[in-house]
Amino acid sequence: MRPAARVPCLVGVGETRYTKWGGTTDASEYQLALEAITKAVSDAGLRIDDVDGLASFAQDRNDATFVAADLGLPELRYASLSWLPGGGGACAAVANAAAAVADGQAEVVVVYRALCQGQFGRFGQGPGNQPRSPGPPPVPRIRSAKSLLAAHVAFTMPFGVFGPPIAYAMVLQRHMHRYGTMAEQMGQVAVTARAHAARNPRAVMAEYAMTMDDYLNSRMVSEPFRLFDCCLENDGACAVVVTSAERAADLARPRVEILAEAQGTLQGFGHGQYTNVSMPDDDYTSAGARGVARRLWARAGLTPADVDVAQIYDHFTGLVLLSLEDFGFCERGQGGPFAASGALSWPDGSLPTNTHGGSLSEAYIHGLNHVIEGVRQLRGESTCQVQGAATCLVTSAAGVPTSALILGRP
Amino acid sequence: MSERFFPDEMPMPAANAETLAFWEAAARHSLVVQRCAGCGQTRHPPGPVCPACRSTASQWLELPGTGSVYTFSVVRQAFLPALSDRLPYVVCAVELDQGGGVRMVSNLVGCEPERVAIDLAVTVVWEDMGPDLALPRFTPLGTTVARP
Repeated sequence: MRPAARVPCLVGVGETRYTKWGGTTDASEYQLALEAITKAVSDAGLRIDDVDGLASFAQDRNDATFVAADLGLPELRYASLSWLPGGGGACAAVANAAAAVADGQAEVVVVYRALCQGQFGRFGQGPGNQPRSPGPPPVPRIRSAKSLLAAHVAFTMPFGVFGPPIAYAMVLQRHMHRYGTMAEQMGQVAVTARAHAARNPRAVMAEYAMTMDDYLNSRMVSEPFRLFDCCLENDGACAVVVTSAERAADLARPRVEILAEAQGTLQGFGHGQYTNVSMPDDDYTSAGARGVARRLWARAGLTPADVDVAQIYDHFTGLVLLSLEDFGFCERGQGGPFAASGALSWPDGSLPTNTHGGSLSEAYIHGLNHVIEGVRQLRGESTCQVQGAATCLVTSAAGVPTSALILGRP
Repeated sequence: MSERFFPDEMPMPAANAETLAFWEAAARHSLVVQRCAGCGQTRHPPGPVCPACRSTASQWLELPGTGSVYTFSVVRQAFLPALSDRLPYVVCAVELDQGGGVRMVSNLVGCEPERVAIDLAVTVVWEDMGPDLALPRFTPLGTTVARP
């Protein structure tokens, strides 16, 4: 057990305005990162001079060492980048910050993520295998891969598997075959997220209502995924501040404790279904989070029944169903019926989920906005507030090595 | 030569030290997977160490090129503009016969999207892309395809 004084807590949250893909033209992605960091520190009642640590996760373009220099941090004592790719790493970055705080390496660590796909192009197209420029093509020859990932996506991209929607459509196709999962069940995830977003003025899709018919009539992207099964792409940034319970005691906001954190992957799942279709069927039809889930519940001393509200990473509706299974809210294969039962809906569902609207309807900031929403729930500040919420599960992306947190109100 | 399955703008494979032998075999229309010389487990994509026994010794196992569809997706959005006149196309994961459980991402060709199903029996067809590059695609067993 950690000494009570060193229990890591989330004490500040900050975000920029969220806009549609390419909608932010008056600030760079890096400027958005700095804005979110500054707001989170201010929200906590701290000053930039108090910050001595920075943490992020894979594929971040905004180096912590530049952040520290440009913000003029008096002394950077801790900087880390989780290896967990893309959306798998948001909770891991918080966990790394928490570990640094708990063992005294740093006192105030800010976790951040900025994402302007309009400025840098779409995630998930893979490195070293970009489409060629127009004009007469050279005679194709085998080229030298510039990274491990480039060598791996050579086995998918030349076959037209462009990025996550297609790769994870194949996962859900298999899940449907094996368990009878249905489109309407995935649609329930999308419709629920949109209903939650309608109450959240920060949500990019707050003004766009969605019915089940709207969902079913949205265009097919990659079967079984329709457009509305896929998350948004947008511009924005998030940051959260982690410090010790001792330091949190006299800050501006009620502290939110990090009750448990877990990260990683199990043997066989490898880098995830995006590059590995040879894994065992039980893994292929999962979120790949069973190991993380087992360790998370054990560290917290809690079970799924103890959770009041959840923020489940939602790059695709179907993968939310798989996460619900892996984290033990229902039996394997039963994520669809669980969602269809209305369990995810605020305020009456048994597990109100993605109460900010999630990546499907609030914003796609690689899930750091899910951590922020977890904090808001436990402060009583959510626009879909679960009455008396005392514990919140936050997960990062399914389908890749991932991470998760359980947050609690002291 | 007949028209290619995908437009010329498609990305082509890049190889590293571990994967080059697969692509060299593919250029000869030989479908191979890597097999651990220590414990015999197969793996794909190729890698430098056996994840099961950690042996770094491996062999290349030539497969008959038949298999079955493990999963698939009918792609109906052009993720590259040049793909807009090739929609829909079918991507699949093929479980390879005699491959020790190994599966491979590819395309199903010569098959209406409505006919694609999990467990469909398929066989490899090669598309030559250049003097040292060919891509393995799959077609339902018993089908004759003009393209590729």
